[in-house]
Amino acid sequence: MTTDRKPETALNRRNFVQTLLLPAALPVAAALADSAVIAAAPLAGSSPDIIDCNVHLFDWPFRKLKYARTSALAAKLRRHRITRAWAGNFEAVLHTQFDAANRRLADECRTQADNLFVPIGTVNPAGPDWEEDLRRCHEQYRMPGLRLYPAYHGYGLEHPEFVKLVAEATKRGLVVQIVLRMEDERCHHPALVIGPVDVGPLVAVLRAQPRAKVQLINAGGRLLGNRVTALVRETSVTFDIAAVEGNGGLDQLMQGKNYSYTGAIPVERLVFGSHAPFFPCESALLKLFESPLQLAQLEKLMHANAASIIG
Amino acid sequence: MPASPRDFALNPAAYGLPTRDDLVKLRIWDIHYHGFFRGGIAAHEENLFYVERMGVERMLSLDIAGSPEDPLGNTIAPERKRELREYLVKHADRVSGLIPIDPGQPLESCRKMEEWIAHGPCVGIKYFGGNPLGIVCSHPNNDAIIRLAGEMKALVYIHAWLQVGGEPRRPGGKNAPGEATPHDVAQLAARFPQVNFICGHSGGDWELGVRYVRPFENVYIEFSGSDPHSGQVDFTVAEVGVDRLIWGGHGPSRCYSTELAKVLDADLTFEQQFAIFGGNLRRLATPIFRDKGIQL
Repeated sequence: MTTDRKPETALNRRNFVQTLLLPAALPVAAALADSAVIAAAPLAGSSPDIIDCNVHLFDWPFRKLKYARTSALAAKLRRHRITRAWAGNFEAVLHTQFDAANRRLADECRTQADNLFVPIGTVNPAGPDWEEDLRRCHEQYRMPGLRLYPAYHGYGLEHPEFVKLVAEATKRGLVVQIVLRMEDERCHHPALVIGPVDVGPLVAVLRAQPRAKVQLINAGGRLLGNRVTALVRETSVTFDIAAVEGNGGLDQLMQGKNYSYTGAIPVERLVFGSHAPFFPCESALLKLFESPLQLAQLEKLMHANAASIIG
Repeated sequence: MPASPRDFALNPAAYGLPTRDDLVKLRIWDIHYHGFFRGGIAAHEENLFYVERMGVERMLSLDIAGSPEDPLGNTIAPERKRELREYLVKHADRVSGLIPIDPGQPLESCRKMEEWIAHGPCVGIKYFGGNPLGIVCSHPNNDAIIRLAGEMKALVYIHAWLQVGGEPRRPGGKNAPGEATPHDVAQLAARFPQVNFICGHSGGDWELGVRYVRPFENVYIEFSGSDPHSGQVDFTVAEVGVDRLIWGGHGPSRCYSTELAKVLDADLTFEQQFAIFGGNLRRLATPIFRDKGIQL
């Protein structure tokens, strides 16, 4: 297990608590005014750009989103120093003409926003002739990866065609993003009946494909169940941070102390993902600062890890 | 690893985000703080690192002397209760407490309110997302609790959700026994127009929850504990106005990033953000804070 936490951390935190409680007798406003002076912004000279591995273009089927227009989303992401964004197509969640959705996505990414968006196509390995959809994604639309929605498309990760898809994608050098969830099941449209994705079979699938580039999207701790350690140790799967929760969630996750995960995920296996425009991109961005991360960790999270997957 | 929670390796402003100083200026009050949940004081103190890092001015804990399984805290040792009371008194400048009550046990709930609010450090009551007897907050037997809360000027926070499920499948069809929906909050608000209520979690599904409570000026909307949906706060402000929103952090189980982002996503002025992050709650809490001699 990799962790960047030094042993003295806990001691520092205890010291911090004692220090924090000292001025309890002072009026809050005065204490905070002092803190504002002390807490002048720090900081390092350079500010790394960010690669966002988890955005979608076009319309979410159940709500008009604030940044649904590609130009609006591009401007929003750039305001936050996101200079590359791996984009799926919301239409691929419920539409069944995947090639049409992929073609539209490729066209949009090619003609809009000065190459900010990297098109990530979708195929359904449980559907007919998915091999041709995959071939077009790679050869015709020049997509560097695929985004799968098993919960919405009705297959499990033990499905033989999914196993074949991973093999084919690996042969072509494509990243395979598996979306574990799009939104909280408690708030689904009542007409949707969608179960959770069981990531359990993935460990065996990827053991047989050690060069596979697989990424789990919106992979909150509860969805990973007790598979975190196996996924980290026995595969090279990466995880985006959009669904990481908890105060100091990233820091806690790297230490194996995040209450909703059953293990630790080292920083080398985490990538920045915002789930914009469904989530505000500020959510993932703030996570980089809520946790007390070092610059080297931030650089991995912000771009280096993703860049090593899609150069 | 920085020794101080105020050390940052990069400047958030370079990423279009507020700095810690910016957050401090917003005077953030967190109505939904779970730092004392299960772990008690030690867990809370450990979590203060993040509270401080994100510039949160005051925490209002919803878990004082009670848990979902035992809202009235009958199984909590007297010694632990005494420690908690002393802690809240000692740190009244930074931490306030709301006590869980049980709508299935109104008399006992009122006794707990006398002990912890009228004659103790706490400032409000909380309805959990369910309770042992499965009684929702709008049940008439529960009215004594609300009447007393009104007399005490106590804050009234009600967890409200609309969990999709049931047969036929519908919003609220999968709620836990005793878990309120925003419709329950609306019913209470209509019965007690002189009492202010805080509808928790924006009712779970904010597109529905906001509309359930929209007609009732005495219902404030807190919106923590759900995924951060872009457009949520814009919608809520458009429907009920900026003065009825109250911010909650829901930490340590949720991250501050999630909850701050909901507001930062919206098209708001500094003054509007200031109101949502704490101004509205301070206005609502002024009477009971004044009674207890706590400075706002």
